[in-house]
Amino acid sequence: MERAEVLSKLTVIFRKLFSNDSLALTNELTAKDVGGWDSLSHMLLITEIESAFLIKFKLKDLNRMKNVGDMVDIIISKL
Amino acid sequence: MIKKIVFNIAVVFLAVFVLDFVIGGTLRNFYFRETSGSFFRGTYSMEITKADILVFGASTAVSNYVPEVFENSLGVTFYNTGQNGLGIFFQLATLKSVLKRYTPKLIILSCGESFSKDKESYDKLAYLLPYYSKHKEIRKIVELKSPFERIKLISEIYPFNSQIFTILVRSIEIAKINDSSKKGYDASYKRWAHKIDTVNTYTTYAEDQNKVMALREFITQAKESGANIFVVYPPVFQKFNMRQEIEIYNRICLIEKVPFWDFSRDTSFSNNKSLFADVDHLNHNGAMLFSGLVAAKIKQAINKDGP
Amino acid sequence: MTFTSFNFLIFFPLIVILCYSTPVKYRYVTLLTASYFFYINIKPIFALITAGVTLSTYLFTRLMGKTNSWPWKKRFMVINIVLILLPLFFFKYFRNINAGIFVLLELFHLKCPLPEIKLFLPIGISFYTFMAIGYTVDVYNEEIEPEKNLGILALFVSFFPLILSGPIERAKNMLPQFKAQINLDYNMVAQGLKFMLWGYFMKLVVADRLGIYVDAIYGNIYQHNGTSLLFASFLYPFQEYADFGGYSLIAIGTARILGFNVMQNFKRPFLATSMSEFWRRWHISLISWLTDYVYTPLSFSFRKYKVWGIVIALMITFFISGIWHGATLAFVVWGLMQGLFLSIEALTNKEKSIFEKKHNLSKKSWYVSMGVCFTFILFAASEVFARATSINDAFTVYRRIFTVPGTLFIGRLSILIYGVFGLSILLLKDLRDEFAPSWFLLFENKHKFVRVIAYSSIIILVLLIGVFDGGQFIYYQF
Repeated sequence: MERAEVLSKLTVIFRKLFSNDSLALTNELTAKDVGGWDSLSHMLLITEIESAFLIKFKLKDLNRMKNVGDMVDIIISKL
Repeated sequence: MIKKIVFNIAVVFLAVFVLDFVIGGTLRNFYFRETSGSFFRGTYSMEITKADILVFGASTAVSNYVPEVFENSLGVTFYNTGQNGLGIFFQLATLKSVLKRYTPKLIILSCGESFSKDKESYDKLAYLLPYYSKHKEIRKIVELKSPFERIKLISEIYPFNSQIFTILVRSIEIAKINDSSKKGYDASYKRWAHKIDTVNTYTTYAEDQNKVMALREFITQAKESGANIFVVYPPVFQKFNMRQEIEIYNRICLIEKVPFWDFSRDTSFSNNKSLFADVDHLNHNGAMLFSGLVAAKIKQAINKDGP
Repeated sequence: MTFTSFNFLIFFPLIVILCYSTPVKYRYVTLLTASYFFYINIKPIFALITAGVTLSTYLFTRLMGKTNSWPWKKRFMVINIVLILLPLFFFKYFRNINAGIFVLLELFHLKCPLPEIKLFLPIGISFYTFMAIGYTVDVYNEEIEPEKNLGILALFVSFFPLILSGPIERAKNMLPQFKAQINLDYNMVAQGLKFMLWGYFMKLVVADRLGIYVDAIYGNIYQHNGTSLLFASFLYPFQEYADFGGYSLIAIGTARILGFNVMQNFKRPFLATSMSEFWRRWHISLISWLTDYVYTPLSFSFRKYKVWGIVIALMITFFISGIWHGATLAFVVWGLMQGLFLSIEALTNKEKSIFEKKHNLSKKSWYVSMGVCFTFILFAASEVFARATSINDAFTVYRRIFTVPGTLFIGRLSILIYGVFGLSILLLKDLRDEFAPSWFLLFENKHKFVRVIAYSSIIILVLLIGVFDGGQFIYYQF
């Protein structure tokens, strides 16, 4: 899967989870930039991503996810 | 760069120094202008009174010794320097300040406080801080508070820490009572309503050497001044065998060869709860009776020794 | 020696001079010596425990680095964590576990008279133990290389600005700084001094002063009426913020003067509009630590339970936070209350944001104020359990608040006046920092004259109404 495809699929998930239809994802985007994305909702996001892409993360992967860009990289590596 | 840092710190210190000097000086001015209240009592005791009889002590001194009884019976002037909660350190400091100015004829030390090691007694030395600069004789006592008091006292404000509100309020009070008319006596008209307690156990504690030494110094200095000193343990509304404090007073008085009059278990008081305001303090009726007793005993003691 | 004892004011400048006089390569040695000197001055034997924790951590992280076997790495990590938790458990919880076991034995008439062991809790043990555990896990997760220099690691564990009461720092942040070439920087020193000054103001003028009143009420729960108990419970969170927040600022300022950047620990917590926001502003270093090392692994393991997985993870995390604060059931209740508040927020978050968006509430000041007040009330309510020494007492406080009317106990009026005055200044500054950070600049004013007056005024205020006679820092015995 290409980065762009991953990113667009992620955008759908983000928009649904954070109730924000205009949310635009960039590589540099972090939790600080998105209303409602915090440690409480982060795990929900992770589960949604896992079921959408049919992958399973490791705890170590979480630590490496500093922004959306890292997230895309890690997703691709697991596909 | 170090120069810049040091210079800037020095500038701030200078500003603080100036503000501290001005504000501290103002506070000092208002503090010593008081003519009533606890600050005034301390100042009056240390700097003004020239009474023939001085009573020293804490709360028992305040409540148990009626000025008129002593004045009439012994034909002398009376002042009580005691204050609630202020222990042997304060009593010694007051004595030193007094003896620097004159020698009273009679000194009564009213007992009661504990000689255990507790932080509060040292914290309360803060009461003496305003007097540190003028009274060289009490400096060693004040320095017991902590090893750094001398440094802290560089600040003019420090002696008046936490007092600004009280000082300001008292300075704008219109009706001021000149406290010396009460001569340091605070009469209580309460009556103790409960039955007498019996304490069977006698637990000892580690003695605070500073306090014991202060007591010793008090008695020595009082003796050496030429005054007649009497150490009195007032009546207590409790049945007990012994208290460590009584042993300590007794021990020191024996060594120094001064009279120790122990009324703590005197049944003419402990059988009569109407004489007590609470377990440790007499009310006005009890104080009248007690003062009469003590005055008579003093009269006897003095006459025995010759005029 | 603590930050508020006079000899620290002599010790610290000396250390600063010594530190910057030492050649850069060996500065960590000076700091390490100073840190152990600082700690030994409290009680020599505690330094042994710190050294023990350091040695164990050093050994096992080096072992982790030497092996390529993941199962072995894991074993080393677990062994070290267990080992360094032992002294913490022993000192902190021994008495309570012991008492609990005694109660059980008594129930079965099996108790035999044993001499009571009087244990004094090593100061700071809860803080540096967590820092060492964090480092161990970071090595396992390959976030940081095992430190080869024992001295540097020892400094990390014992660094005197942090050892007593945090902030709980991370090896990733501190170790590189300890090894770096730190030159004297004017701005760091200036900023550090400002932090220290404000920290002393918070601690001595606000916290210790309010503490006198709160102690008087909470020390005599059965003698005071509901009004006084309510007022004291209202004041206590402010006292704790000024106490712990002030102390943290002094720690951060101290480290800053020595050239180190340490994380912020408090960020105007009472302006939070929800409990989740509150816990991003209160004791940040602890929450951040718990989030990274407890909550995230837990919520990750439970993620298949969706929101309920989060709830379980929250409850466990805050249970641990509770017992970290104190070895009593009351603190457990306190911790569980935090978990409960956050769980409810997590469960209702979606509905809440939809509702807020629909009515455009998040910009309305009345709505924000309501959130601030409600959050404060929740926190203050939980703090009753932290302040009262037992569950029984906490319930008594609640009971009396609702059933025992009366007039407010004043005691010495000056105490409340000084305390409320100091608190107002503190809250005004926080409001300014939050909503208008470039207005009314005093410490940061561009005119030197204004700055100097500001610094001196705060110092004078401390001299005038600071509490000097031994106010004990609340988090000291951790």
